[in-house]
Amino acid sequence: MDARLRRVNKEIADCKNDQSSNIDIDLVDNSPFHLVGSFDGPEGTPYEGGHFQVDIVIPESYPFQPVKMKFITKIYHPNVSSASGAICLDILKDAWSPVLTLKSTLISLQSLLCSPEPRDPQDAEVAKHYMTSKSSFEETARYWTEIYAGGPGKTGKARASAPKDEVAIAGLDPAHVQQFQSLGFEKGKVIDVLRRLNYRGANVANINDDRVVEELLKP
Amino acid sequence: MSSADEYSDDEIDYYDEDDEGMLVDDDESASEMELDNFSEGASKKKIYEVDYESLSQAEVEKQMKSDVDSITSIFGVAEDVAPLLLRHFDWNKEKLIEKYMDNAATVSVAAGIAPPEKAPRRPAASGGRLHSSSQSSKESLIGPRRSSRRTASAATKSSKSKVLERVTPQVHNESFVCPICFDDTQTEFLSLVCDHKFCKSCWAAYIESKVKTEAESWIACMAEDCDVVAPDNFVKQVLTGDQRTWERFHELLVRHYVSHRPDLKYCPYPSCTYTVSCSITRASLATQVPIVTCGNSTTHKFCFGCNIDSDHRPVICAVAKMWLQKCHDDSETANWIKSNTKECSKCQSTIEKNGGCNHMTCKKCKYEFCWVCMGPWSEHGTSWYNCNRYDEKASKDARDAQSRSRASLERYLHYYNRWANHEQSKKLSVELYAKTEKKMEEMQMTSELSWIEVQFMKKAVDEVIKCRTTLMWTYGMAYYLESGNEKELYEDNQRDLERAVEDLSELIESPLDPEVIKTLRQKVTDRTVYVTKRNEIVLEDTARGFLEGRWAWNVPVAGLD
Repeated sequence: MDARLRRVNKEIADCKNDQSSNIDIDLVDNSPFHLVGSFDGPEGTPYEGGHFQVDIVIPESYPFQPVKMKFITKIYHPNVSSASGAICLDILKDAWSPVLTLKSTLISLQSLLCSPEPRDPQDAEVAKHYMTSKSSFEETARYWTEIYAGGPGKTGKARASAPKDEVAIAGLDPAHVQQFQSLGFEKGKVIDVLRRLNYRGANVANINDDRVVEELLKP
Repeated sequence: MSSADEYSDDEIDYYDEDDEGMLVDDDESASEMELDNFSEGASKKKIYEVDYESLSQAEVEKQMKSDVDSITSIFGVAEDVAPLLLRHFDWNKEKLIEKYMDNAATVSVAAGIAPPEKAPRRPAASGGRLHSSSQSSKESLIGPRRSSRRTASAATKSSKSKVLERVTPQVHNESFVCPICFDDTQTEFLSLVCDHKFCKSCWAAYIESKVKTEAESWIACMAEDCDVVAPDNFVKQVLTGDQRTWERFHELLVRHYVSHRPDLKYCPYPSCTYTVSCSITRASLATQVPIVTCGNSTTHKFCFGCNIDSDHRPVICAVAKMWLQKCHDDSETANWIKSNTKECSKCQSTIEKNGGCNHMTCKKCKYEFCWVCMGPWSEHGTSWYNCNRYDEKASKDARDAQSRSRASLERYLHYYNRWANHEQSKKLSVELYAKTEKKMEEMQMTSELSWIEVQFMKKAVDEVIKCRTTLMWTYGMAYYLESGNEKELYEDNQRDLERAVEDLSELIESPLDPEVIKTLRQKVTDRTVYVTKRNEIVLEDTARGFLEGRWAWNVPVAGLD
């Protein structure tokens, strides 16, 4: 049997047998080389209560080259692209070692959620948010966990307090929201559209204002 | 550039190899063999040429080996350890010696020749027996004497039956399942000094993947967070039976060495394994163009100072790069648009007026305006088709700006067209060679000239192509030359060469008349000699101009004042 297939099959089986780690790996289209891994957001973090899915592609030369992983679930984290889910983690690149497994890599991802590394960001805008105001960042991260990863959200303890600034929670720049609000659109709608278009940070340059207005005009 | 005495050993080597006879261009060999800049060699060598030497991969390996040997003897380390140390320090011997003498243990860990010390276990195991303090046991573990290290490792691993051996990797045969492939039928296991065992086939697949897909010669242990590096012999042992990967690995090692030596450069031609050694300094690139040819083929001509894969003499690297950049940039497209089009003052669509009157109607927004003053057509009233607002200040300014932009465009196009023309002719050289070949055969049939006697044609073609390359670049340079007497003299030389080349070119391509072959031969030979001379004059005068600082530029040039 092909060494890669044997290894991947064993890894999937190991994961199934191991109940304690709470890490799941499922096949996509019956191929053991395209998988979906999932785990729960770690406790004591803004991701708590969320369930995160990761797209896994096993390359031809696995395990000698690293697996390709990216988040399917949208997540607000300095080392994960908020648009594409791309992950910035050393073991997925040059620090990969053939002894690492799918399970250990997913556990590393889980621990990345506990300890963001804003100094080496994938999403500079999120990292900036993290560095300038950690509490506001956590607010947004919790909000994202709630709407994208099925987190507890408003029922959670942190959100029980007074209503927070919705603009910051959506991870948007107040100036941008103001800009479209001044055109006569409702604040809630502006936030909704800008968030949907991912109108944040460096991406702003790629999104035409006309496009935003077009979206805003849609009923 | 490093100091002269640093490479003195190597230079002695170069002289030796010269005597053994190298492949160098026939007529240039005399000057190129002469490596001494200050002796009479300088007078023999043409002013636009630089000293260099071509080395085969084997010769580079010899240089590498001598570096390795010197480190081996200085540190008294194993033959396998020295290359790793040197590679870790990017072949900077001085830095390696300094750091290694300072703290051998740290350097050894960083260079991947020893696993980092596990504080609680190791000193206790070896310290008591060999040395009184843990500090000295640390020293003895990694060097400087190989024998002492071996004893030390033996002591540390005393609980195990096998003695750790660095040069030949440890082979484990007991029952064990490789943690990578989980294949329980594997019987041969290998590990580096860190003692992380994996089966041989996983090692082979790993090294192949590193070498082939990553072009990486720094093969770290497969275990997580282990930075121990596989020495060459280990790689060789694993790759027995995969000669191609081993050869590629070897080539990567040589490339790594060459890329870290300022006096060496790899021949950029595809699948060529030659290296050129040239001791030109970065500062002298402002006055010299180090065009070199590798020993593999005379067509493997490249510049030692930059990445342009053409003989860009007489232009220095910085200016040549600037010119290429300008030609590749589409800034000139923008320039064209600027001078040939206007924008609709209502919807900002770009409009090119390609005929007709001044009454424009924008296709997109149907705005009607006057092309001359850009004002709305309705204001023109009855003065139809004749804009009387032409002399107003605003439109005058617009007109001036437009003509300035047009002038700079025309100036650029003047140089670019000539550059492109010669480049195009050069590209057609393959055809020209084929045509000339035919002609030469024809000549041998229709006249009593022998094969050797018709070679003048091929020589003429060679010369024409060479001169076209020179001419091409002279236009790139002229574009940036500040106008003045010097530039005029430069352009005189350029014109003379160009005329001579065009004459000769026409002569070679003219139809053959059997009657006058003898005179044709005389003419072509004469003109070839003349063209060669003219080319030399251009190259020499430009090179001398650089040395004398005669050229003034109309733009700031990187690396010049």
